[in-house]
Amino acid sequence: MALAEPVLCKRIPTAPWGDPTDRKLVTYEQFVATGGYEGLKKARALEPKAVIEVIKASELRGRGGAGFPAGVKWGFLPPEDGKRRYLTVNADESEPGTFKDHMLLDYDPHLLLEGIAICMHACRLDTAYIYIRGEYHLQAQKLINAVKEAYANGIFGPTSLLGQINGRDPACVVHRGAGAYICGEETGLLESLEGKRGWPRIKPPFPAVAGAFGRPTIINNVETLAICGPIMDKGAEWFKTMGKGRAAGVPATVPASFGPKLFGISGHVNRPGVYEENLGIKISELVNTYGGGIRGGKKLKAIVPGGISMGVLSADQYDTELDFDIGRKAACLGLGTAGVIIMDEDTDMVPVARNIARFFAHESCGQCTPCREGTGWMYKMLTRIEAGDGTTRDLDLLLELSGSMGAMPGTTICGLADGANWAIRTILNKFWGDFEKRVRKERYVSLQVASAAK
Amino acid sequence: MAWIMKNSATAPVARRAEPYLDEATKALLEADVIPRYPTRRASTLPVLHAVQDRHGWLPTQAIEEIADFLGLKASEVLDTASFYEMYWLQPKGKYLIMVCESISCELMGHEKLMEKLHHKLGVEVGETTKDGKFTLMHAECLGACDTAPCALINETLHEHLTPDNIDALLDKLP
Ligand SMILES: Cc1cc2nc3c(=O)[nH]c(=O)nc-3n(C[C@H](O)[C@H](O)[C@H](O)COP(=O)(O)O)c2cc1C
Ligand code: SF4
Repeated sequence: MALAEPVLCKRIPTAPWGDPTDRKLVTYEQFVATGGYEGLKKARALEPKAVIEVIKASELRGRGGAGFPAGVKWGFLPPEDGKRRYLTVNADESEPGTFKDHMLLDYDPHLLLEGIAICMHACRLDTAYIYIRGEYHLQAQKLINAVKEAYANGIFGPTSLLGQINGRDPACVVHRGAGAYICGEETGLLESLEGKRGWPRIKPPFPAVAGAFGRPTIINNVETLAICGPIMDKGAEWFKTMGKGRAAGVPATVPASFGPKLFGISGHVNRPGVYEENLGIKISELVNTYGGGIRGGKKLKAIVPGGISMGVLSADQYDTELDFDIGRKAACLGLGTAGVIIMDEDTDMVPVARNIARFFAHESCGQCTPCREGTGWMYKMLTRIEAGDGTTRDLDLLLELSGSMGAMPGTTICGLADGANWAIRTILNKFWGDFEKRVRKERYVSLQVASAAK
Repeated sequence: MAWIMKNSATAPVARRAEPYLDEATKALLEADVIPRYPTRRASTLPVLHAVQDRHGWLPTQAIEEIADFLGLKASEVLDTASFYEMYWLQPKGKYLIMVCESISCELMGHEKLMEKLHHKLGVEVGETTKDGKFTLMHAECLGACDTAPCALINETLHEHLTPDNIDALLDKLP
């Protein structure tokens, strides 16, 4: 069933409810006139712990990639000790195929600010840092203006309706990154915020215990926080009428996929863009109803379900439902950012794999040997295969390399290696034919085959 | 690749009498940026941005001045500055063209765009035209996949690019 009315896109004209060409920046006055900051007022009337309970009851899961239940994360914070505690907002959006936060920041920054204020109240956080990627120049400026409006209207600052938190006036700061994908990883983000290179930290300690500047810190994605206002306004039960309910027989302790979600569609479709729908919509339905079908009436070849780190699906998986359970159902890493990329039948998967390998090689921070060397060598091998200089042996090696990088927990610090693993391995496995065509046949028995034959 | 290091220990440092981080800017930063963070070091990124915005790039002398200002070692500031793609440790042209080369842009024809730019500007990726006007660079995903192919020219994002419209676009830049 389609979403009855837009939630995140309430003020951002989006098909089928509006025309994207009518999109305009929503000012503070317009935001308030259309029911904005109502959720914050209702949250303010509740005890902080009660707000966390509402978010927990809504079963809201993080929209930044990992899908971790937001209320549970908020509940991890240690008790207050009167000293500073932080919120860091992840607006580093750099995963190829992802541009949803871009839209929210472009048109409705107050929706994010409302969520930030709710989280600060619920978790007793005195300062929020919005870490926005350096390339979002215009968005950072819009955000800075919106924050000024919020200060002037008693959302943050000395007149904040939140009152003092940890003995301080609630503060909200826009912090610009400087071009590094790895700063989207939560602890890389913290290092970068502290003025260092964005090298992810070894966990534990988790940020909830020792995060920014060694203090308890909550990190959430832009979209995760943006939905908190509407949840506090209309309630957890309302939120759970949307999305994909829990299947019969699944215990309530297993997180489900409730609520609306922003989906980005790009690649070979007629109407690329960001659309809002229920979690659980089929990829085919999303592409046909919203994306206007595949460009030029071509057939489908491959799908990236949620940013390239999640891996690639083949055409026979077109009807897969986009929800947090997609990893198990479709053998990919997960829903990721729900940035769907469509590739038509004319796409050659060798350059696609080369492009993706280059991305990871370029963005690996270099701390962990399997990731630094693995991504670099995958890129080199794929470049060679694309140029027609590869051999069958290279393909075996590539498969082995991509399958082992980051696969063993503890061998890499963060999830980038895992993402590179899933992306390259699923492309190789599903489109082996494209690669075989490119390489020279060499009489060569791989070590694995040789030992299995014994 | 952020982790490829250059030998900076023996590189000559060009100096000038006039500081890159002047007193007025320092006062501004001291009032506006430093108080936002619990440590001075946390202001490294905003201060690097501010100095680069003014001078176009970050000469070694500027790095040293920033280190002094923040109470850090020059090596600490350089360590941070060299990690991020957007900080320039060598001069760049008046216009920095960053063409997105990630997957959605490649699917939508980023290659034709690059061909056109190579041809028009006569430079490879990473180079600046002789007149110092344009520097050509690649970028990873710019977060505008729905309007691919796209490119950032200085601070402005240009979408739905074609070899023809980027040609016209560059011609119009003063
Ligand atoms: C390599 C890497 C890059 C990431 N990039 C982003 C990003 O750009 N934006 C984001 O919100 N989360 C990103 N994440 C996920 C964050 O680490 C973190 O899980 C998320 O911000 C938590 O917010 P959420 O619970 O609201 O989703 C990335 C993770 C990894 C491993
Ligand atoms: S897995 Fe890769 S990106 Fe992550 S910390 Fe290790 S080297 Fe850096």
